[in-house]
Amino acid sequence: MCGILAVFGCVDCSQAKRARILELSSRLRHRGPDWSGLHSEEDCYLAHQRLAIVDPASGDQPLYNEDKSIIVTVNGEIYNHKALREQLKSHKFNTGSDCEVIAHLYEEYGEDFVHMLDGMFSFVLLDTRNKSYIAARDAIGITPLYIGWGLDGSVWFASEMKALSDDCEQFMAFLPGHIYSSKNGGMRRWYNPPWWSELVPSTPYDPLVLRHAFEKAVVKRLMTDVPFGVLLSGGLDSSLVAAVASRHLIDSEAYCQWGSQLHTFCIGLKGSPDLVAAREVADYLGTRHHEFYFTVQEGIDALEEVIYHIETYDVTTIRASTPMFLMSRKIKSLGVKMVLSGEGSDEIFGGYLYFHKAPNKEEFHEETCRKIKALHLYDCLRANKSTSAWGLEARVPFLDKEFINVAMSIDPKWKMIDRDNGRIEKWVLRNAFDDDEKPYLPKHILYRQKEQFSDGVGYSWIDGLRDHANKQVTDSMLANANFVYPENTPATKEAYYYRKIFEKFFPKNAARLTVPGGPSVACSTAKAVEWDASWSKNLDPSGRAALGVHAAAYEDTK
Amino acid sequence: MCGILAVLGCSDDSQAKRVRVLELSRRHVLLKHRGPDWSGLYQHGDNYLAHQRLAIIDPASGDQPLFNEDETVVVTVNGEIYNHEELRKSLTLTGHKFRTGSDCDVIAHLYEEHGEDFVDMLDGMFSFVLLDTRNNTYIAARDAIGITSLYIGWGLDGSVWISSELKGLNDDCEHFEVFPPGHLYSSKTGGFKRWYNPQWFSEAIPSTPYDPLVLRRAFENAVIKRLMTDVPFGVLLSGGLDSSLVASITARYLAGTKAAKQWGAQLHSFCVGLEGSPDLKAAREVADYLGTVHHEFHFTVQDGIDAIEDVIYHIETYDVTTIRASTPMFLMSRKIKSLGVKMVISGEGSDEIFGGYLYFHKAPNKEEFHEETCRKIKALHQYDCLRANKSTSAWGLEARVPFLDKEFINVAMSIDPEAKMINMDEKRIEKWILRRAFDDEEHPYLPKHILYRQKEQFSDGVGYSWIDGLKAHAELHVTDRMMLQAGNIFPHNTPVTKEAYYYRMIFERFFPQNSAKLTVPGGASIACSTAKAIEWDASWSNNLDPSGRAALGVHNAAYKKNTGPVGSVKLAPNIIDNVPRMMDISASELVIQG
Repeated sequence: MCGILAVFGCVDCSQAKRARILELSSRLRHRGPDWSGLHSEEDCYLAHQRLAIVDPASGDQPLYNEDKSIIVTVNGEIYNHKALREQLKSHKFNTGSDCEVIAHLYEEYGEDFVHMLDGMFSFVLLDTRNKSYIAARDAIGITPLYIGWGLDGSVWFASEMKALSDDCEQFMAFLPGHIYSSKNGGMRRWYNPPWWSELVPSTPYDPLVLRHAFEKAVVKRLMTDVPFGVLLSGGLDSSLVAAVASRHLIDSEAYCQWGSQLHTFCIGLKGSPDLVAAREVADYLGTRHHEFYFTVQEGIDALEEVIYHIETYDVTTIRASTPMFLMSRKIKSLGVKMVLSGEGSDEIFGGYLYFHKAPNKEEFHEETCRKIKALHLYDCLRANKSTSAWGLEARVPFLDKEFINVAMSIDPKWKMIDRDNGRIEKWVLRNAFDDDEKPYLPKHILYRQKEQFSDGVGYSWIDGLRDHANKQVTDSMLANANFVYPENTPATKEAYYYRKIFEKFFPKNAARLTVPGGPSVACSTAKAVEWDASWSKNLDPSGRAALGVHAAAYEDTK
Repeated sequence: MCGILAVLGCSDDSQAKRVRVLELSRRHVLLKHRGPDWSGLYQHGDNYLAHQRLAIIDPASGDQPLFNEDETVVVTVNGEIYNHEELRKSLTLTGHKFRTGSDCDVIAHLYEEHGEDFVDMLDGMFSFVLLDTRNNTYIAARDAIGITSLYIGWGLDGSVWISSELKGLNDDCEHFEVFPPGHLYSSKTGGFKRWYNPQWFSEAIPSTPYDPLVLRRAFENAVIKRLMTDVPFGVLLSGGLDSSLVASITARYLAGTKAAKQWGAQLHSFCVGLEGSPDLKAAREVADYLGTVHHEFHFTVQDGIDAIEDVIYHIETYDVTTIRASTPMFLMSRKIKSLGVKMVISGEGSDEIFGGYLYFHKAPNKEEFHEETCRKIKALHQYDCLRANKSTSAWGLEARVPFLDKEFINVAMSIDPEAKMINMDEKRIEKWILRRAFDDEEHPYLPKHILYRQKEQFSDGVGYSWIDGLKAHAELHVTDRMMLQAGNIFPHNTPVTKEAYYYRMIFERFFPQNSAKLTVPGGASIACSTAKAIEWDASWSNNLDPSGRAALGVHNAAYKKNTGPVGSVKLAPNIIDNVPRMMDISASELVIQG
């Protein structure tokens, strides 16, 4: 990942302003520790902090077209950049960077090219010929982007809120799948897949089609010029990523440079379920497996930093981000700059336990659509910012555009949980990789139910967080919470504690509005809380035991 | 390098204090750059020891703070102990058990065994704070020359603060100072004691005759012991004598080391400069000769100027020469780190030990020559050590400096300074004894013309327009009126040039406390001389440019009176391909400066 910051139309173009932009840009340096670039053009500034993954030697940013009239600063990876280069034969490229295609595509197609990009990205592009600019964010919001407005009429774009929150009067999350154009001053959605309408699809389930789509999604993410690995919690999603990556590593570019040994990483409290599960998968796949341990105290000590980096006060996100944040630092210290990760599968396939209670396939499908659309506020935000805090890049094959199209066109009746027919959650995905001849994973791993949310890193993690918050937040603080925090009022001491830290770093009203709220049970949307009458009484945001739908719970009731 | 921060006896053991210490030690802008790999915080009552780790030795298990067997002695260390294996052996014999493979693990055990009197047994660069929880006492110490940085401060609540960088304690201390190198602070006495006590410290004139082979061996040993690493490394190569020797020796001995087994026997070398700069060419030539994997990094004057604020924030000085030289090193360090390299070997210290600065040409006699070298070595921690350590640590890169090996300094500083004196009639240019020591006909370390060449000094090597660009930029932002009032605004170490004023403004913004400005040295200097050496030439006191270019009239070319055409600095690129190019350039420079 890289960090981008762009400011257009500021009244002041002095050295002091340049120094200020540099200072603000350096707040994003954790995202791109490898190099900084700043292009200024009259009252426009495009700044970049680079993490070099493709073409480390020459791909420093901002990037330009041939005559330097178009300037672009990009955070992201364009997986189909070679194919696009082919199409742009008449254009001359200055670097080997995958992001350079953006400037040339704009030259060729104007503003209507974003859908041609296959990857994760946020970028800002300045056309100096007519002093217009555009900004865009990838389909799902895998990369973060914020937009803000200054009192002097300036428009700001930044990868993280911390780069613009102090200097903007108003700001908000830049909507995923959208493009902002200075010509009409507004946002327009460029991402327009069939599933967006939330109409219930009818394509029958074909395991091989699904398998191939996912394999392609993983393989295209092996494009790298630097050492990489896989985050492996031992659950279904990360284990599939690891299995597919290790199977196809040998044919990839990365293999030629960094060898065929796949590195896998797992973190947990000592003896945690994830560590045991991941070790088992790693042994099966023969990866170079790295285990990292943290203590509850280390996690608590990291909370302030986590919230500063992640820029949210959402309880589940903070709980899950902290171990990922600690692990990312360790991974980076080993020289690894990129990891593949399993985010998105639970949203696409309805993998959360509360989906057991989906009343019918229509509701099931609509909930998956809502979950995917909200990913940028939750798991995408966590995965991106926890890793970027240490200059590590996370790639998420489940959020491949093609793959989502395939998975979201399947008749949702196949995704429904059906205990009588032995279909647990995510059965369509499990079954797609159930290959008896050349097994991807042993059956008991392929079909196991794993801990959800942050329980996997060790049960005492969440308990420890609660205990700590209980000590720091008094009853009277919580009693007055709705006066202190009228919006998204924290309902627990833990939430109050996180909120307090968040407000310290991001005191503006606009900042708290970037974080979602509302009732949720075990990560459901507010709508899905209606699925079970008992849920609205027990709104623990995390999953453990709240639902009574884990396999163990089914057995208990027998 | 790592970052350490200790707060001792702060009479506050609340969560709020813990959060504050954590924030100071790790918030993205503070010490985390020094040790990006892991953080540790140990709290014992109202004592806090925090650590930000850069893992070079034993990345897997050596997280800090480190403990003795029963965890009663806790230590947080920034540094490398090169003789840790030997020390371990002797400590194991007396029954000590080690928990990690970290080189710094020995410190807790040495303290257990020897009490406070063990610092001189450590061979390396280090700063550490050690807490003895049995009697709630603590000690802190800094290496002999001050290769690693360390500051000490005092809070209003009676707390004592010790931190790798100023920025770790300046906001919370009422008063703070540089922790003197070679010293030990003990809470028992509440005072400093110098533990480093070598012969040369008295500045008495030594008489050992010059033996080239003794000097060569001593330096080779110093380089070899610095190849101890579990991570990828390289050498900083400017193409001058010092860095070229470091590279040559490293390349020669790399094959036999543990480092080579892990990371291959191919040596990586790194050089930074404006495009077409003298350093880039000189370094490329040496790299080609040695067959290293050479990496060139180019920066523009604008890149450098954009980095100045960052540089001053990181380097914590307003010294003009240091800032000029730190900026390219700072930019290069980022690029080096992005290649996955975590440690580099660098050539600092040679000019001080051997009197390599051009102004040494004017040393009136060997006594003055020797005393000046002693003064220069003692001041290194405020100049080149500070630059080398903090420019690299800003990006989590560690710099090792073999010229500042304790043994090597002892050998080099025991030589009769007569041998170091510059004597143009006998063709002894500066640092001749070092050049001669590596002049091996059978197995040449370097080609003769490199071994005996005079190179650009200070920041000229990265490209002549660098310093000109800095000056021009400062001219734009500092008015004459500001200069007129400089003495009133900055009564201490008053800036005498617009460039100095510009740096000072930035420094004051980051470090507004009075204590902060006192940590930076000042006073008159000519081309990096101490104030004392200005007396060597009457004309010098009239021309106090802090950098070296052409101010002295002592470069080879000047002796030849080969003054060349009068021209602007911009002529340089045209001359650059001539042989011997560097001398010619200096000649024309000389004329410009008059």
